[in-house]
Amino acid sequence: MSSSRDDFGIAFRSALLQRGAAQKFSLVFLIILASIIFFLDVYGFGFMKPVRSIVNDGIYRVSLLASSPSRFIPKATESVTNLLNIKSENEKLKKALEVYRQKELSVEYLTNQNKNLRKILESDETLFQFQSNTILSKVLIDKSSPYLKSIIINRGSKSGILKGMPVLDKEYLVGRVVETNYLSSRVLLLNDLNSRIPVTFGEDGVQAILKGSGGSKPVLEYLPEGYVVEEGIEVFTSGKDRIFLPGSPIGITTEKGQVKLFSESSQLSFVKVDLAKQNKEVF
Amino acid sequence: MSKFNTISKVINLGPLILLYYLSVSEIDSHFENYFEILSFNIQLIIIYFWVSKRPEALGNGHVFFAGLINDVVIGFPLGLSSLSYLAVSFVATYVKNMTVNTRITTDWFTFFIAIFFSNVIFFVLLTNFSETTVSITEMSYNTFFTLLFFPFFWFIFTYYNSIITTGKNA
Repeated sequence: MSSSRDDFGIAFRSALLQRGAAQKFSLVFLIILASIIFFLDVYGFGFMKPVRSIVNDGIYRVSLLASSPSRFIPKATESVTNLLNIKSENEKLKKALEVYRQKELSVEYLTNQNKNLRKILESDETLFQFQSNTILSKVLIDKSSPYLKSIIINRGSKSGILKGMPVLDKEYLVGRVVETNYLSSRVLLLNDLNSRIPVTFGEDGVQAILKGSGGSKPVLEYLPEGYVVEEGIEVFTSGKDRIFLPGSPIGITTEKGQVKLFSESSQLSFVKVDLAKQNKEVF
Repeated sequence: MSKFNTISKVINLGPLILLYYLSVSEIDSHFENYFEILSFNIQLIIIYFWVSKRPEALGNGHVFFAGLINDVVIGFPLGLSSLSYLAVSFVATYVKNMTVNTRITTDWFTFFIAIFFSNVIFFVLLTNFSETTVSITEMSYNTFFTLLFFPFFWFIFTYYNSIITTGKNA
């Protein structure tokens, strides 16, 4: 019995303290070091912020470089497939071209085309006006963690980005900035468990809080008592928090009280950060 | 001969390269597009297997740094993943010290103990000392699938380990 206890003690001590040719540091030393780093980071000591900012910027760049094969391979596969299909596609296109040549453009077609072009022109003007307060950013990393839903963008405090700024995909809200470095920022997505956004929807202007569920669809909380959510109602930001501009479209309600987001978070390549709200938010 | 040595060295570095690459790259093991709850942590399997089978291939210092990198990429407080990984490393080293010859079933069981401790440390530190919230359900699914996929990786890594051993004997 005592021998067994001795063996346990020896194995335990050995696992914690042993060092060898490959193990230059003992486990206990590394555990203490990791704990110190953890508490320094969590309690936000002044010197940790610039250190973390530099480390973040460096690792995000390395991460982008390391992820390039995983982005390149699907594109390369697609290109090869396209090359293989190009002959049959060429024949199909020739036939289609013949059909189009034989067709006469009707007046109705021209009218519709004209209308469409006008619409595009109008939307472009709107977009231009809207973009004057926004900054376009590329998504560097969108590593999907089962715990945290966030993306890294290639703009940071150098470009005037501050914590709390809303982030949009086209005109749809996708999240907000929660961490800024000099050259990059982290955006917390709407479906993250830690995300809370005040929203409004419906003809009566019902107020609620959109809470991230960790899944693909966030849920509506703090609804009026007895309120039953109907399916298919558009949800907008209410702007009650004075962080988000009111009226940014977010998604559409489902009958379970969830919101199907307009913007697919896993498909983001470029996003816009709204610089209009320059108020610093303290988290 | 020198070319063979170089190849042998690269093969020996395989687990280490894989661990760092998985920590730093965008590649993830969260397949929400296929099955919403399917996610597993390959890093924990790599650490457990190689620390228990061939510790010279995966030093504790590298485990610590891989954890730091993972924290930066994912957005957790620095040091959290390191502590979680080192917990797995500790259990693996302890099991290695206590046992002479292990089979897949014993490894599977002890791996369960390792990831249980690892996830408890992760969850307790995150919920008590950080403002970040994580879902315990998501963590449970992640733990379950990590445990479920362990034998699959065990066979792959055992085969790879035999290649390293053969290379050393040659």
